[in-house]
Amino acid sequence: MPLQPGPDAALVERMIAGDESALSTLYDRYSGMLFSMLVRILKDTSAAEEILQDLFLQLWRNPSRFDPSRGSLPAWLLVIGRNRAISRLRSRERREVSDDSEGFSMESIPSPGNIEEEAQRSQLAQRLKSAMATLPPEQREAVELAYFEGMSQTEIAARTGSPLGTVKSRVRAAMQSLKDKFGDGTARQSGRL
Amino acid sequence: MEQHVNPEDSELWALGALEGEEKRALEAHARSCAPCAKELDAARQRVALLALTAPPVTPSPSVKDALMRQVRAERGAPVAGPAIRPRQRLLWLTPAFAVAAIVFAGLSAWLWSRDRHDLQRVELLQVRLSALQSRTRDMVASSEATNEILGAPGTVRVPLASQPGGPAGRAGVLYNARLGSAIYVGQLPPAPAGKSYQLWLVPSSGAPISLGVFSSEQPTTALTARVTPGLTPKAFAVTVEPEGGSSQPTGPKVLVGAAG
Repeated sequence: MPLQPGPDAALVERMIAGDESALSTLYDRYSGMLFSMLVRILKDTSAAEEILQDLFLQLWRNPSRFDPSRGSLPAWLLVIGRNRAISRLRSRERREVSDDSEGFSMESIPSPGNIEEEAQRSQLAQRLKSAMATLPPEQREAVELAYFEGMSQTEIAARTGSPLGTVKSRVRAAMQSLKDKFGDGTARQSGRL
Repeated sequence: MEQHVNPEDSELWALGALEGEEKRALEAHARSCAPCAKELDAARQRVALLALTAPPVTPSPSVKDALMRQVRAERGAPVAGPAIRPRQRLLWLTPAFAVAAIVFAGLSAWLWSRDRHDLQRVELLQVRLSALQSRTRDMVASSEATNEILGAPGTVRVPLASQPGGPAGRAGVLYNARLGSAIYVGQLPPAPAGKSYQLWLVPSSGAPISLGVFSSEQPTTALTARVTPGLTPKAFAVTVEPEGGSSQPTGPKVLVGAAG
């Protein structure tokens, strides 16, 4: 009898046992979300595809690097994918990204649960987009430049022509608004990631 | 006294927007402050949600095809050509195949009774093949462990220094407490006759833990070892022990390196 797709942790266990179909299921589950982010950052589908394939290949080769008791698989993949994309984007500058920060790896994220249902994720994505859309344009721009273009606050200030302190305030205000719109904090929402 | 991380700065950090001294100070503080480390983790989790605001794009099916091809290639499975269809599989059950199998079995039995010596040679080859397979598995495991520890955050390198009166040598240990993984690479003259070298992890509390025994017959020795994750080492050391190693260090230390 064929194995049924299960929670991420079970699929990772199956990968460790050499089950290719588990990788295939995880790819089907998360490749769209990851690819969308990679394309948004890189604006280059070929480069995004290359990183996407490499992400899942690394997951296959070293599935034990993912620790389900300390974080969700999609969040782990998103952070690694984002950092690789930004590194690629900014490879000339070799700017440090937080994935390289000693002692603060994605692996240390506390258990946030899993995205199990595509519908639930879509609903969450829709709510996030709505929340972003209601931000003042300059706040939204600051957050997007940081997240999708990997810019530091100094770089955002240079790009937007705003004082550094203003940039900081905008990012802080934007993140606070997102927290407010998601009730008692986005952390609980991020449990779906 | 250092200040705790400002929750607003944690989001800037998670976005990668914090920089310079602010970033270094925040990370340095969080390394020794569990609540702040937890806050940074939570911020990163919150920030990861922003990925979902990207316009949805679907990757080409060719990406998955290439991924699965590569996975199969790495496993040594056939990567090209159509899969065996059920009809083709049925060929194995045809009368012709059954007859061939019976003839082959009979021939094997006849050959076995005719010349046991050949059989013994086959058995010897099987033993050698088994040993080779075991070594290959060890090499693959070693390679995987190396890749894992090299790319992992929190990996530390501990250089080991020769001790006065001991043989000249140089070595280092890569250690990752979270993974419970250690790699030793070193150069020492061959161990004295009837002796072995033994690598030890000296924990911050408790008895030394053996990480492996080697004789150093090759110019460079590499060892990979697994220990209980979370162990904090005080030092790593190589001692000279009776051939095959000891349960606890008994001989002189030839290489020592303090961790941290």
